[in-house]
Amino acid sequence: MLRLSNFISDLQHLERAAQGSHAPLILEAFARNTPFGIGAVYLRDAGGLRLAAKSDLCFAPELLEIELPAEPTSDFFLPLEPRPRVVLPIRAHRDTTGLVALSSEVELGEDDLQLAFVAASYLNAFLTNQRLMLEMREGDFQLKSRLLELESLYDIGLSIAATLNVDELADEVLFRMISLTNAGRAALFLRDGDQFKLYRAFNDFPPLDDELAARLMSSPDAVTLDGGLVVMLPIKGNNATIGVLAAADRETREGVGTFEPNEMRLLSLFANQVAIALENARLHRDALEKQAMQRELDLAATIQRDILPKSIPNVEGLPIKSFSCPAKQVGGDYHAFFERDEVVTLLVADVSGKSMPAALLVSALHAAVQLLFAEERELGDVATELNKHIHRWSAENKFVTLAMVSIDREQETIEFVNAGHNPQYIVCDGVIETLKSHGLPVGILPNSRYMTQRRPFPKGSFVVLYSDGITEAENVAGDEFENDRLEAVLRENIDAAPAVICDRIAAAVESFASGAPQKDDQTIVVARFVSEHK
Amino acid sequence: MTDELRLAVERRGQDGAILHTKGYINNVGGEEIATRAYELMDQGVRTLLLDLRETKIVNSIGISILIEIIEKAIERNGRVAFCCLTPVIYKTFHIMGLANYAKIFDSEESAIAELGLAA
Repeated sequence: MLRLSNFISDLQHLERAAQGSHAPLILEAFARNTPFGIGAVYLRDAGGLRLAAKSDLCFAPELLEIELPAEPTSDFFLPLEPRPRVVLPIRAHRDTTGLVALSSEVELGEDDLQLAFVAASYLNAFLTNQRLMLEMREGDFQLKSRLLELESLYDIGLSIAATLNVDELADEVLFRMISLTNAGRAALFLRDGDQFKLYRAFNDFPPLDDELAARLMSSPDAVTLDGGLVVMLPIKGNNATIGVLAAADRETREGVGTFEPNEMRLLSLFANQVAIALENARLHRDALEKQAMQRELDLAATIQRDILPKSIPNVEGLPIKSFSCPAKQVGGDYHAFFERDEVVTLLVADVSGKSMPAALLVSALHAAVQLLFAEERELGDVATELNKHIHRWSAENKFVTLAMVSIDREQETIEFVNAGHNPQYIVCDGVIETLKSHGLPVGILPNSRYMTQRRPFPKGSFVVLYSDGITEAENVAGDEFENDRLEAVLRENIDAAPAVICDRIAAAVESFASGAPQKDDQTIVVARFVSEHK
Repeated sequence: MTDELRLAVERRGQDGAILHTKGYINNVGGEEIATRAYELMDQGVRTLLLDLRETKIVNSIGISILIEIIEKAIERNGRVAFCCLTPVIYKTFHIMGLANYAKIFDSEESAIAELGLAA
């Protein structure tokens, strides 16, 4: 009993010893506490039973190619010298992991053999306990690792909700991904056209070539490379692949290996998290851009409101009324009034395009028109110079349709230029006539010339200038207001004051549209020659 | 970013030492720490403080090696403590159970004071 308690005590050393020194310790425990002073220990590896320890007096082959005995035995041949008196299989839990072969220089009795068998069963019980303990610890470690993974995903979710800084999130995701999957390298690539550009990397990561990029664009699942050592996960946005999360060189205690299925699932969850973070950041960026654009539009609208006449010239005997309603915040319609001696000029123009580009061209038109009228040029000359100016300074596809009417109450005539604008109206003696276009819109060709046209304009006549936003206003069915309806309003109000005519046209257009969205700017200018200047 | 581990050892008194780590505690980094820790234990160090202020990542192999170091220290009637952990590593150590066997301090000063690591 004393010997067995010492044997068990010696086995305790196995707990703290490295795996490689277990075999010598086992042999030593038998030698110290049993009569079996000679022997060898074989442990199973991939090649078979390999010699792990032996006593000096034992001759033993490096490898044994035998079936292990099921139980301790004193009747089992092994090619060792001296011939083993007992062969004791080593068992840990359900696995037979090797054998101890023992002999002795002294005469052995049956009690000695029984002692060896009992010692072997203690050894196996000890090793089984140790194995179970290790498995329990490993299980505990794995359980805690899964908990850590869940906590990490939860934390990243919180981080995504708390910040829109993609740089910070990318670092956090990469750090956590590396620590949880034991990856040696990791990277985040973001889409740029048909390419993926490296955004963040932990340790070196090569750029993705075109072929791989194309594969990742179309792949719904992870793409593995280099025999599974590299994993690329497409990051899916709303409608497309917006990036790639990559991990490589998963560490093990023995070197590098492929990613386990649970690690692949984890990587996939990280890719989903990154997708959410990137989408949030993009939506936030878009919102900021929209805000900035809105601010610009507001500013441009303010500028354009300042450009349009703040008041209508108060000319005795020539009441004038105007109406302006931009379709968007910043429109392409423009109107102006000029007064010189007995002559009052009305101008209505429509710049091609909408929004900010149109507003910029309106500003240029306004500046040029103000200068040209200050030089007291006649209308044809103004239009010709405007054409040169707009053609030279505006974009290739930009142009302006323009109608200008100068009313000379002394001569009772009008002069007009219509450069590509809709037919404008004069109503003389109850007859509605049109001032048709007689030239291209300004800005199309560099050398266009415009000639001033003249018409009689007796007392009581009135002129109606408008933009195509009036006649092309649509109702919900897509029908346009057209000139017939405009002319009907003129006929019904043929004796009315300009303010009434203007309001009735605007009301008729609004009534016709019946709530359909306004697609184009609307401008109306009406002036009636009531009496000559006193 | 690359994050290879660097180590600096600061002996404190007869049986104390501080290991300052910088970089990734993975298999390679963890083994480096273990080697230095075991050398120090062999030299009689019983109280070992690991200052992780410049370490941002510890992977699971690194954690298992740190657990082995803690166990080895306990076997030798010594102790291991940590200080200056990032919030992520602090949480990791708690979840993985390191905090059950090793004290964790917010600052090196408080660790030195409580562990009695004389200069």
